[in-house]
Amino acid sequence: MTTVKDPIKRGVFLAAMLFSCFFMPGWAAGWEEVQREAAKITSINARFTQSKHMSILARPLVSQGRFYFQAPDSVRWEYTSPVKSILLMSSGGIKRYTLGSRGLVEDATGSLQSMQVVLREISRWSRGRFTENEHFSATLKGGKEPKIILAPKEKGMAKMISRIVISLSSDRPGVLESVAIFESEGNHTLFAFTDVVINVPLDESLFRKPQ
Amino acid sequence: MITRPMIPAGAALFLLTLLFTSCSTLPAIRSLDAAGTRAAAERCRRPFLDAPHRFVHAIEAGMPEGTMGTVLGVTLFDPPSGIVHSAVLTLEGFVLFEARYDKGVEVYRAVPPFDAPRFGENMIDDIRLIFLAPQGRLLHAGALENGAAACRYEGPRGQTVDVIVRPDDAWEIVTYGDNNESLRMVEAFFVKNRIPEAVELTGFLTVDYKLRMTLISAEPISPEDVKKH
Repeated sequence: MTTVKDPIKRGVFLAAMLFSCFFMPGWAAGWEEVQREAAKITSINARFTQSKHMSILARPLVSQGRFYFQAPDSVRWEYTSPVKSILLMSSGGIKRYTLGSRGLVEDATGSLQSMQVVLREISRWSRGRFTENEHFSATLKGGKEPKIILAPKEKGMAKMISRIVISLSSDRPGVLESVAIFESEGNHTLFAFTDVVINVPLDESLFRKPQ
Repeated sequence: MITRPMIPAGAALFLLTLLFTSCSTLPAIRSLDAAGTRAAAERCRRPFLDAPHRFVHAIEAGMPEGTMGTVLGVTLFDPPSGIVHSAVLTLEGFVLFEARYDKGVEVYRAVPPFDAPRFGENMIDDIRLIFLAPQGRLLHAGALENGAAACRYEGPRGQTVDVIVRPDDAWEIVTYGDNNESLRMVEAFFVKNRIPEAVELTGFLTVDYKLRMTLISAEPISPEDVKKH
């Protein structure tokens, strides 16, 4: 058995990709509009439902939780079921706490290098700079059901994630409907967001303390 | 005057270890009368479900240096055919590892570090140990001093497998090497209708490791569900 450090790094990276999806409030004739609207977001508070689809699952494996963001870079990504787990990002640091047999304990997460990568990506995304992502190329599709499609640039990443489809609400500017991450045929994860509240003050301790 | 040891300390430790392990004995299983032996052998089958099932667990992983993390595990198994299909996911749903055993291990996906040599084989070995009854010959069935039913089976590669089922249905499986050294231990806790709420697997192979599996869901499935993937 090998260490679990790298899986956690990957989890952090995927979570970071999800956070980024909230920074696309404009509906979106073009990237300039996305970037302009992104600058208006100061905070986000939303519920999410994560549905994992795999061929070996008869029904999706459902996880639920809550997401908080405070500009410029504070994030709380909290699972409430089936496993309680909280990822905190604040002032350049990342911590994850998971409820297990020893109570709510901090995971031994990945290296500083991986954290720096994640933060750099978030910083770009928070300014709507999707087209600067070194791992994914972004395509914006307007119309009645606006979408952003992220496609991997390198073969290595394509083996892990074949594409990401971000669905934007057509009638509620500022509200994201869902994010689907496709890994391979029959294997994808859908994140659906509800009760999205934007630009309401959040307690700073949310991003520092797991409880 | 300073005397030098006849052999280096490391070699001495190795010899002591060798001496110790070569003298290890398996736990004593008390013999019972014919009816008691039959009952014990039957009771030793309780940890192993007869029909195909799908289990989902939260898995806490631990290493000697204290590294801990939690992933999700999905396992399908079909006891009659011995087919096993398993996937390990991050909490965010990203698939780190997926493999299937059907007379041999086929790895569908392995993200570093899950792509390490023999990781797939070792993981499937662990899963088969937890969910499928030992395939080897029953050597001895009886009881431990604490009243638990105990069975000893012939394992693969000269190993021995002990299955112990306590009166409260909690159970334990231990594998021993050909010097009777412990290789792996599985403990099941809070067993309801033969399904444990928690399973702990400890490995004493080249690197010690511990997995704590907490049940999220368990459901019977059809043999076709296992065979079609």
